[in-house]
Amino acid sequence: MAQVSIRVEELGKTFRVKRKREGFKAGLKGLLKPEYEEKAAVEEVSFTVRQGEKLAFLGPNGAGKSTTIKMLTGILHPSSGHAEVLGLNPWKERTKLSHRIGSVFGQKSQLWYHLPPSDTFELMSRIYELRRSDYRRRRDELIERFGIGPYLNTAVRKLSLGERMRCEIAVSLLHRPQVIFLDEPTIGLDVVVKQHIRELVNELNREEGTTLFLTSHDAGDVERLCDRAIVINGGRKMFDDRVEVMKLRYLTHKTVRMVLGEGPRPLRLQLAGVQEQQRDGVKLTLSIDTTVTSIETVLSRIMADQRLIDVTVEDPPMEEIITQMYSSSASSR
Amino acid sequence: MSDYAMPGKSKRLLWFVWACWKSNLLGAMEFRLSFLLMAGTMLINDVVWIIFWGLYFRRFPVVNGWELQDVMMLWAVSAGGVGLMSTLFGNSSRIAGLVVSGQLDVYLSQPKPVLLHVLISRMSISAIGDVAFSLLVYGFYGDRSLIGLAKFGLALALATLIFIFFTVVVNCLAFWLGGTDGLSAQLFNALVTFTTYPTGIFRGAGKLLLFTVVPAGFISYLPIGLLRDADPLFMLGVVGVVGVLTVGGIWLFYTGLKRYTSGNMMGLRR
Repeated sequence: MAQVSIRVEELGKTFRVKRKREGFKAGLKGLLKPEYEEKAAVEEVSFTVRQGEKLAFLGPNGAGKSTTIKMLTGILHPSSGHAEVLGLNPWKERTKLSHRIGSVFGQKSQLWYHLPPSDTFELMSRIYELRRSDYRRRRDELIERFGIGPYLNTAVRKLSLGERMRCEIAVSLLHRPQVIFLDEPTIGLDVVVKQHIRELVNELNREEGTTLFLTSHDAGDVERLCDRAIVINGGRKMFDDRVEVMKLRYLTHKTVRMVLGEGPRPLRLQLAGVQEQQRDGVKLTLSIDTTVTSIETVLSRIMADQRLIDVTVEDPPMEEIITQMYSSSASSR
Repeated sequence: MSDYAMPGKSKRLLWFVWACWKSNLLGAMEFRLSFLLMAGTMLINDVVWIIFWGLYFRRFPVVNGWELQDVMMLWAVSAGGVGLMSTLFGNSSRIAGLVVSGQLDVYLSQPKPVLLHVLISRMSISAIGDVAFSLLVYGFYGDRSLIGLAKFGLALALATLIFIFFTVVVNCLAFWLGGTDGLSAQLFNALVTFTTYPTGIFRGAGKLLLFTVVPAGFISYLPIGLLRDADPLFMLGVVGVVGVLTVGGIWLFYTGLKRYTSGNMMGLRR
């Protein structure tokens, strides 16, 4: 049994927010007698993450994902509960912990904007107090692995977003963190760069056993990077299990693509839970809610009427599964 | 392999401070012409004031015991102090803005003293002109003996510390009151302005204000109380104020940090 890297017990964070009513008069009133309300960003969230695990921490905007990461990295103090990362209390032992963890915030850069990444590498080696020989070895290894050599001496402001993000992740790994927090690392990147970054992160996890804690709105990140998912919404935990289990639980329908023997003839299926998504001559795509009607029933009904040349049954994309999860968790609140 | 927890912590901290300053300067020099123009125009701006005071002292050689040389030293200490603060600890006057916009995250996620890291992570290029001006004025009007230089160095260090930690204190209000960038900037400007006038021209409540709420008097009296005749009582007061402001500033910052709420603003280090 692998060791526990992160342990979170009933962690909560409440923000005091000024209530602002609409209009100038209300604005003046608010100036004299401001009204505040308590907003719970995270409510009694508990979970553990084992060493070397690749966890997707999911939820819609405002669900409390970033707030949780900020508490686990010691940036924010919680309002209630307890957390341990690598056996340390993040907000009380922040300095000690930050030597052992790394973080990449997709929207907050660690790189110096007007300087080339090579200068940030040098500065980071001083921040993390790395031995010169170790620093040089690790830097060269990361440069090679991330393929950032060609633009290492170009000012960050002149790099593309993809190049910058590769440097961003490489810099955050300089001190060999045992846990890495990635907060939307692929935001705004094109598909090729996204895929490359996923491969690099996977490789890192495989070779160095780094625990991965990822938040993302990109279904591809979850599917290709993570083996476990936690979903939170409205500050509360809604799901915590393996990614495959998530698929099974929320996968209520299948996509069936088929090539029919005859030309365009109207299908008279009239079956509950079956929707025609696309019809292009002999090609037909159906969405079938398998909890209502089985695929077998649908296929036998079609075969009774027409010849079937080819059939493919697919799971819907991860994107749809996540949408389904968010909407069902929102309606259950 | 990190040397963290190994002996030599202070040395490694100094390496880190040096690396930050070096990065700031390298970043500033990325735009060479702008760098030279900004530092140069600040120098010219300061020289204009000196010309004004020169004309004034031609007509009135002594103002409440202050002579031209004292006013020149006043400008050397004040411009030098504010220049060193903005050059080496350039984020001092931006703390309120960083707190409100949630941009302390990067500093909090790295293993260095947060306040020090924030302060040294920015360099005001125009302030380099202030430092150059201060040295030039001292070179022309100051006592160039070893004792004189040592006293000037001490005066600069004390003035810089007062500037830094007064600015930290007023900027920390943002942790409790929210968007106080404007108020903090006004209080900082008041301090800078009052340090460029001889303390001798203020009386009663004005003088009391300069030695309490806006401690400009502790900087503007340095040319008399330290450079001209070392006044032990005044020096004790200055050291006391520096101590209170330093300890108070650090305490306020770390206490306020517990209330920090972060934010979702995009951020880049520059």
